[in-house]
Amino acid sequence: MNTAAQAVTIVMIEDDEGHARLIQKNLKRAGVFNEVKHFVSGTEGVEYLLGPGREKHRPLLVLLDLNLPDMSGIDILTRIKDDEILRLAPVIVLTTTDDEREIRRCYELGCNVYITKPVNYETFAQAVRQLGLFLAVIQVPPAP
Amino acid sequence: MTLLLVAIGFLALLGLGAGLVWLIRETQNFAAGVASTQQVRLETSQVLNLIQDAETGQRGYLLTGDEHYLTPYRSALAALPRELPMLTDRVIRDGGIRDALQELQALSEQKLAELRETLDLVTSGNRDAALALVQTGRGEAIMDRIRDTLAGIESRSLARLEARRQGLDLAARSLLLGAAGAFGLIALVATGSTALAFRYARDLEQARAEVEAVNARLEERVAERTAALEAAHEEVQRFAHIISHDLRAPLVNVMGFTTELEAAVASLREMLTTVEAAAPELVTAAAKEAAEADIPEAIGFIRSSTQRMDRLINAILRLSREGRRNLVPEPVQMNELVGGIASSVRHQLEEAGGEIRIEGKLPDLVTDRIAAEQIFGNLIDNAVKYLDPDRPGRILVRGHTIGRRAVFEVEDNGRGIDPQDHARIFEPFRRSGAQDRPGEGIGLAYVQALARRLGGDVTLESTPGCGSVFRVALPLTARPVEAGIAAVLAGAAPGERR
Repeated sequence: MNTAAQAVTIVMIEDDEGHARLIQKNLKRAGVFNEVKHFVSGTEGVEYLLGPGREKHRPLLVLLDLNLPDMSGIDILTRIKDDEILRLAPVIVLTTTDDEREIRRCYELGCNVYITKPVNYETFAQAVRQLGLFLAVIQVPPAP
Repeated sequence: MTLLLVAIGFLALLGLGAGLVWLIRETQNFAAGVASTQQVRLETSQVLNLIQDAETGQRGYLLTGDEHYLTPYRSALAALPRELPMLTDRVIRDGGIRDALQELQALSEQKLAELRETLDLVTSGNRDAALALVQTGRGEAIMDRIRDTLAGIESRSLARLEARRQGLDLAARSLLLGAAGAFGLIALVATGSTALAFRYARDLEQARAEVEAVNARLEERVAERTAALEAAHEEVQRFAHIISHDLRAPLVNVMGFTTELEAAVASLREMLTTVEAAAPELVTAAAKEAAEADIPEAIGFIRSSTQRMDRLINAILRLSREGRRNLVPEPVQMNELVGGIASSVRHQLEEAGGEIRIEGKLPDLVTDRIAAEQIFGNLIDNAVKYLDPDRPGRILVRGHTIGRRAVFEVEDNGRGIDPQDHARIFEPFRRSGAQDRPGEGIGLAYVQALARRLGGDVTLESTPGCGSVFRVALPLTARPVEAGIAAVLAGAAPGERR
């Protein structure tokens, strides 16, 4: 990961603890050692990202699950992309849904990458590792 | 009811007609009676005249002694024997009685005898004796009785005429009454029929209105039901979609952590090997077995079950998607389509000494190409998959047209299907026979759902140990049926079945 990206905080909104753990493991295996802030509910995640006490001046990357118990990931995506500051932050949707309409919808709303979680773990691990490699090369806009 | 009324009206008319005929005959009778009375009167006066003529002749001769005055007497004498029977005849024909006539006959004979007697006296020169005879008044008395008798005959004839007239009158009046009654009846019938017709018309109109109302309600209900079904359909699909994703999420964990566990155990096993090499006494048999056999076995089971679970979920997911797919009918060359599928399995079959053949020309369809491919793909794949390994496989596809439908047969000489499973295998996730082939039990359910959505159906004929024939009936021109719940439940993916 490039130096600028080193400072990037990964905000992971994922209700499934197991998934979160597996994602983190595989990101580490891919050499991504950024700080990962994990929220198990949409409410907490939105509070952190958009709430009144949100930390400013920090480049962010959002890893978003669509199937959350308390709110739809699509809603969170919409709110992020509607936010004056946050809308520049890359949003990677990482979810089990592979429905075409859902995928199209996410891209229309401004999602940057859409990844389907494969059930097959080898494929899953590979997908997350490739995401890690991707994270290592992309540029995240600096905090305003 | 109407028929009865018409019958009554008709009978009334018939009665009226008969009455008229009767009246005409009565009138004729009356006319005849008038004529007959007239003749009786004529004849009576004729007879009276003749007798009076005879008397007049006698008087003239008595007074004058001139033969010339005897002419009326003589002609009367000649005419009477002719006129009297005639009168009798008239009176009898007029319905009178013979008695008065016999009396008249007798009286006229007496009168003529009296006349002859006086005349004979005059002729013999005894004129005074003749006058004395006249003066006895016997002749006059006979004459009076003759007049009375004739008057009686005449008056009786007139009485009969009067009776006839009254009869005619009565007939006319009763006919008039009858006619009035008949006309009344006919009028009643006409009114009744009209009223009935009106009532029928009104009832008919009312019934029509009711039918329309029922129709409208029915349409409304159909629309409601359709909407409800569509909603249910949509709900089932959404449900299938959500469920399959929610089921998938834990599976990711099971698979993931199983793999992590495997990796962890691998490193432990490695360590165990190192320890065993360095200090064999530290390694227990149980620990060794756990690391080398039990844990890998457990992981193997977890993995295979999870994979199966994943396939099932994928099948449900595909089903929920397929149910939503729009079928687009287009002209499809069936020999080409089935030929394409056949060539994809031909190599595999021929390696094992088997064959697949299309017999003759298959009917061409206007149908959804993908659906048709999936139907025949599944059936042919199934045929290949369940061939009997003890004999070379033979798969035949043929088709013919019945009316506006095409019937295709996919026949194999495979292991066959137990009759008790014939209905069951069209249900999703159901399979038949030895479970020694991969698959989720989706294929035939899918075939059936697709065939039905295309407006057709699929049936099966099979003898275990001999083979099966799957018969697909499809409309020559498909008008896709709205995807029902069955389509959702059964609409899985090609390549998986039984």
